[in-house]
Amino acid sequence: MPTASSVPVRNAGRSYLLEFCAVLALYVLAIVARDWAVAHVADPNLVLAAKAAPVLPIWLAFFVVVRHYRRIDEYERLRMLKELSIAFGLTSCALISYSLLMDAGLPPLAITWAWPTLAASWGLTRAIFSIAER
Amino acid sequence: MRNQLKELRAVRGMTQGALADALNVSRQTVNALETGRYDPSLPLAFSIAKLFELRIEEIFQPEN
Repeated sequence: MPTASSVPVRNAGRSYLLEFCAVLALYVLAIVARDWAVAHVADPNLVLAAKAAPVLPIWLAFFVVVRHYRRIDEYERLRMLKELSIAFGLTSCALISYSLLMDAGLPPLAITWAWPTLAASWGLTRAIFSIAER
Repeated sequence: MRNQLKELRAVRGMTQGALADALNVSRQTVNALETGRYDPSLPLAFSIAKLFELRIEEIFQPEN
């Protein structure tokens, strides 16, 4: 069965975990650097660059997920797509519900919450799928 | 579809992990195949048939 990577399917999970943790660490570093730069740096160009820095790890995270998709086998791909479909639905409903409830007095929510909400929905869906398969 | 994957693996004394490595799939995939939760693609079915030196229809049969 052709796979898009030379990494054996057996090692795909570990590679994914390592790459994702590295990107997550980069994201945290970018957030910390941004906050530090905003407080301590006078040069507006450097502050602008620091404010934009977290964008890079977000896109890297997307490519890490795509890379993982290309490494795994056909059954895991199908399962991943099912999980993501349900997670996408949950995230959409959650965010639209919250935006409607903001009119009822809930505090405003930054759009950056979309990413962790999707990640949490995906994790929840994956856990439910794993339990159902036992 | 039903299949004889579990029996064929047992006859050869292979674990699910060993079969997964031989097919370059995950152990979860082998488990899903054996329990009938997943029907393989044609390329994977051919790989399985080649590994066990059988024809696809000797391993996989329609339910009815």
